[in-house]
Amino acid sequence: MSSNGNSPKSQYLTFFVADTAYAIAVLRVREVIEPAPITRVPSTPRAVRGVINLRGSVVPVVDLGARFDLAERVLTKRTCIVLVEVTVDGEGEAAVIGILVDAVDQVVELAADQIEAVPPFGTHVRLDFLSGMGVVGTGFVLLLNVDSVLSTPDLLAVAALRDARSHAEAS
Amino acid sequence: MEIDRDALMPVFLAESDEMLALLEESLLALEDTPDDGESVATIFRCAHTLKGNAESIGFVAITECAHALESALDALRKRRVVASHDFVSLLLDAHDVLRSLLRIAGDGGDPSLDDHRDLVERLTQLGDAHAIEPSIAARAATSDAPTRGHDAASRRTMRVDLRTLDRILTATGELSIARARLRGAMEGVTNAETWDALLDTDRLFAELRDHVMRLRLVPVGPAFRAQVRAVRDLAAAHGKRARVVIEGHDVEVDTSVVDALRAPLTHMIRNAIDHGLEAPSDRRAAGKNPVGTIALRARHEAGRLVVEVSDDGAGLRRERILARARAQGLVSGDGVALRDRDVFDLVLAPGFSTREEVTDLSGRGVGMDVVARSVQALKGTITLESVENHGTTITIRVPLTLSIIDGFAVTAAEQTYVIPLESVRECLELPEGEGRHDDGSGVVRVRGEALPYVRLRDLFALRGGEAPARESVVIVEHDGGRAGLAVDALCGESQAVVKPLDKLLRSVDAITGSTILGDGRVALILDVPAILAEAMRRQRRGTQGARA
Repeated sequence: MSSNGNSPKSQYLTFFVADTAYAIAVLRVREVIEPAPITRVPSTPRAVRGVINLRGSVVPVVDLGARFDLAERVLTKRTCIVLVEVTVDGEGEAAVIGILVDAVDQVVELAADQIEAVPPFGTHVRLDFLSGMGVVGTGFVLLLNVDSVLSTPDLLAVAALRDARSHAEAS
Repeated sequence: MEIDRDALMPVFLAESDEMLALLEESLLALEDTPDDGESVATIFRCAHTLKGNAESIGFVAITECAHALESALDALRKRRVVASHDFVSLLLDAHDVLRSLLRIAGDGGDPSLDDHRDLVERLTQLGDAHAIEPSIAARAATSDAPTRGHDAASRRTMRVDLRTLDRILTATGELSIARARLRGAMEGVTNAETWDALLDTDRLFAELRDHVMRLRLVPVGPAFRAQVRAVRDLAAAHGKRARVVIEGHDVEVDTSVVDALRAPLTHMIRNAIDHGLEAPSDRRAAGKNPVGTIALRARHEAGRLVVEVSDDGAGLRRERILARARAQGLVSGDGVALRDRDVFDLVLAPGFSTREEVTDLSGRGVGMDVVARSVQALKGTITLESVENHGTTITIRVPLTLSIIDGFAVTAAEQTYVIPLESVRECLELPEGEGRHDDGSGVVRVRGEALPYVRLRDLFALRGGEAPARESVVIVEHDGGRAGLAVDALCGESQAVVKPLDKLLRSVDAITGSTILGDGRVALILDVPAILAEAMRRQRRGTQGARA
């Protein structure tokens, strides 16, 4: 739209977590649903909010707030669960994981020249979670690298680290 | 052309697989009764069918190998060779090569005979490759026709992808949940016609579910027969002789259970040959048949599948087990007062092995504990019986299906959990303040017996809602151990369709899976053995703390 139209365009779904705008390529988004009742699973990483029933399948939900080391999200009327497709490491089969976000905004089209590299400072999110910054109107959205945000080993490793730390503090 | 081949491949692979299984089975039968013309005919038919199929789809290596096998068989038919141990071994080798070639073909590769030239050469030498009379092949093929025709008439069958069955099962489970929801929504409805329709639906659903469960049942026979070859080869490798007796090969069980039983079966049989059976000379000296017997039995008992693996070998030696257990610190004291049963159970402890030397058969002291763990994962039990010099019997009991369990629902901190009903013994009210420790564990008295209990709220560090003034305790039992689980409220029995948890959640302790409740929420299924162990652990820590 605002770009010159020569570079290829991709569509992104934008949403808010703790008042910051993020975006995911729509090709990775299976659907967006209102929050179903979430069942907590004991002794899982803080970022794993729990599991939901998605038409008969049990799907884990990751709290993006907790994943970004912010406060866990509080459910409001605008809270949504974005169901994202991830490839399970080594298994080649696509799995679905839900991410809990404060609100879904819109689908935007970004041309390659509207995407900039992430500055090494100034964002409070781990750099490997981001694949770039998109220019939308007068603002920016942070483009998420879904595979690293939802990487199973990484999620579990973070939890193990925290456990070790709390054990160390306890003793 | 390529498209045709792609379409043919799955059928080709499935049929070849069946042919090879039959081929192997018949070869082993042939060894037992070398003059059995029927076995020879079956083997010939299998080799011929394989050759024809491979040729039509263009796998030269498979065609050539099957052809060489045919040549050797021809020599047998013409009585130029006898079905000796060595001859059967050679043919079994050919079977193995065919199987590996097929695996390569199945993985999309191009199977080659380059590594197996020796074998093909030896097979070909046995028969004269050029002397194969087409008429024999033709006869073999025609002799096959009537039996097939008969089968087709009496029972029409088709192949179904297992994933399709899984999806049907899932849908059936969903239907069961939706039905429970509908029933809940009909509270207060007085219209008789509506209720009639619901009851009709209930009846039809029950029928459908039975059919679906039956659809997934397969006989244990093939899994048993697959072991016959292993017994033969392993015994031979160790200078022992053994035969296999199979009982109850037509006993049926859910296909996923059969798959899960394969590995433990192999382990048990390896153990029976390695540790159980004696060398032929020792057996003769003990007045036994030099050929040992390994029996595989299956039967249904009280809604469970019972599998027995027994050998007529030396039996477990109580003294040796105890000595080993003492060395490993598995028993306190000398253990002389232990019952036989408890001594034998020590064999199932992790890392236990009485054989000093490491054998390639049973590996490095990894044996029965692996079996015990696999059986536990199947929610089953395992027992050992043994009489010195008469042999050992290992009995495994597992549920007939892994997909649907009878569950008992409870709530704690506004969350619902499901306990497998088979482990629930009774429920009672938790007397206030009885023997409670800070970590929420304690002791509850049930008819004079003091049982440790743990509160689910504390076990899972649950927040949410206040615990009610009166909590309930569910007494759970597993493997003879009993403990209480304190919860906020009891919700009652229901059938639960087990849903596996995502990889992200699979390492969670004390949870074995999840299920979907009538209201659509997800409930976690509790792992009773893990909870029992935790209750006992807290109990010990609690009493130590009190003493200190």
